[in-house]
Amino acid sequence: MYQYSDQDQQLLLERVAQFRGQVARRLKGELSEEEFKHQRLRNGLYLQLHAYMLRVAIPYGLLSSDQMRTLAHIARKYDKGYGHFSTRQNIQYNWPKLEDVPDILDDLAKVEMHAIQTSGNCIRNTTSDPLASVARDELEDPRPYCELIRQWSTFHPEFNFLPRKFKIAVSGATQDRAAVAVHDIGLRLIKNETSGENGFEVYVGGGLGRTPMIGKVIRSFLPKEDMLTYLEAILRVYNTLGRRDNIYKARIKILVHETGEDKFRELVEAEWEKIKAGGLYLKDEDFAWVKGFFKDPDYELLPDNDTEFENLLLSNTDFARWVDKNIELHKQSGYRIVYLSLKTAHQPPGDVTADQMDAIADLADKYSLSQIRTTHRQNLVLSDVKLQDLPALWEELKALDLATPNYNHVTDIISCPGLDYCALATARSIPISQAITERFDNYDFINDLGDVSINISGCINACGHHHVANIGILGVNKKGTEVYQLTLGGSAREDAAIGKIIGPAFEADEIVDAVEKVLSVYLENREDPEETFLMTYRRLGQAFFKERLYG
Amino acid sequence: MALQVYTASLLKEGLVAYLTLDNNLPSWTTDIHQATAAIDDSLEALKKAAEQSEQDNIVVAPYAIDVIKTDSGIIAATKREQIRATGPTIELPQENIRVSRKAA
Repeated sequence: MYQYSDQDQQLLLERVAQFRGQVARRLKGELSEEEFKHQRLRNGLYLQLHAYMLRVAIPYGLLSSDQMRTLAHIARKYDKGYGHFSTRQNIQYNWPKLEDVPDILDDLAKVEMHAIQTSGNCIRNTTSDPLASVARDELEDPRPYCELIRQWSTFHPEFNFLPRKFKIAVSGATQDRAAVAVHDIGLRLIKNETSGENGFEVYVGGGLGRTPMIGKVIRSFLPKEDMLTYLEAILRVYNTLGRRDNIYKARIKILVHETGEDKFRELVEAEWEKIKAGGLYLKDEDFAWVKGFFKDPDYELLPDNDTEFENLLLSNTDFARWVDKNIELHKQSGYRIVYLSLKTAHQPPGDVTADQMDAIADLADKYSLSQIRTTHRQNLVLSDVKLQDLPALWEELKALDLATPNYNHVTDIISCPGLDYCALATARSIPISQAITERFDNYDFINDLGDVSINISGCINACGHHHVANIGILGVNKKGTEVYQLTLGGSAREDAAIGKIIGPAFEADEIVDAVEKVLSVYLENREDPEETFLMTYRRLGQAFFKERLYG
Repeated sequence: MALQVYTASLLKEGLVAYLTLDNNLPSWTTDIHQATAAIDDSLEALKKAAEQSEQDNIVVAPYAIDVIKTDSGIIAATKREQIRATGPTIELPQENIRVSRKAA
């Protein structure tokens, strides 16, 4: 992974010292809240429903075991013993005291971490595929490109006060595990069949929130050498023309929509012509340098079978279920990718205790080359586990309550913090996710349902990504009562789609029954078990499901 | 007009707090039951005290909320403010994992 240079470290320490001074001035009354708010938001610090909330950046979801231990230490020393992994692969602490935040940032800086680009109208932390460099369907590792974007965007003087926040995702595989089509910019690595060169398909103007949109492909192939110049051109057009008069119309998706896809493309291409040969043009030595941080480890040459693993697979049903649901094939023979499920009925989706974080760091050291990845579905990944170690790892994960066999299944629910934590929320989302998990916490049922996603948001801002779930739930406040709208048919993958509201909202004590009804409509009408929920929904249509849900 | 109390976030801790006035001396408590409730014209004194506390950098962003007096004390009128007053309606993870470990 990327290692800070002396210059990087100095920059970070100076930034922490600067914020320490700002906090001291605020506490002494030398800065008003209005003045200070802009500073704290530049350092990931929000004032939420119950307390301050600090969002810490995890660049493209990649953590070392030492960084994970520091996250545990922060949870234990400065917070209430847990953290929350978010849909943008970051971690949030819900209870820090303002006076402690500079010390937290100092502790983070010691392991090359920070809270920069996690708030404010800047280019946010770039997200990526949690299976980068190990997936079998990968064309090229996207992380070197993410790191180049991180270095280009951090403290970029021109883009520090954009009309609104700006999110970029990069994927390098056939399957989209980074939801690139619902980001302000999505980059998908593809091969140019004529030249044989890899480059990017460029999506612009995707996003969720109150106006969900799928990104438009504004360039079908961008040579990778031009990645930063082209991003700069897009951001310049947005920074110049994006609306600043209305926060709800300030995202780039609105600009693309109002300008028109073709005209927007013209504007970007015209701007790009002016700068494409400039200093941001990427040269071979730039790629060689950054790729040096992301070299494959020295994998052992191992057979792709193991007697102990296979015996346990045959003799232990629970182990077999976990392998079936939470393990993926690795590009390297004899290795596997392991999902650590953060979705149980015992904890809110994405929450991890300090004890669990320490234990996960130890497991990463023991079994997975000392690295951990975070996913946008709020789970964790150990990416390089030897096949022969899976039985022992499973035993340890079970003891930590991190081995629920449900990855990409109905109880693998994305949930925003909702009204239990968030100042913007209008309804609770965590209790609904827990109620759904409790209702469907039956392996045979989960297995029979197959690949289906449920996402829950506690307000129209859609931090729980409900628009792109197969079954989306949006909590709203209707005359003082929390009610929940159902959307069906969304997808965050390569077939990205925005779900449609199916009908009138349900009260809190009705929504789980409604979800169960939708699932039963699917089970009763699928053509065969291979037809997923989304395939059945697309075949039968919204009206079919609506009639059976409300009829 | 409804019975109201003043609430804000404590600057240092960020925690939810409520204004009490004792012989016109303001202080802030995290317990809504101890908040001073007022109605109509008598709210003005609470408002002035809350604004002064903000200027004195004790609290951030004070505002009035509707409350209801019950036999067990003051409760907030809306769900949002009830959750602000009592904390998340779910068990916090650290507590939960400890319980499950004890049970095991």
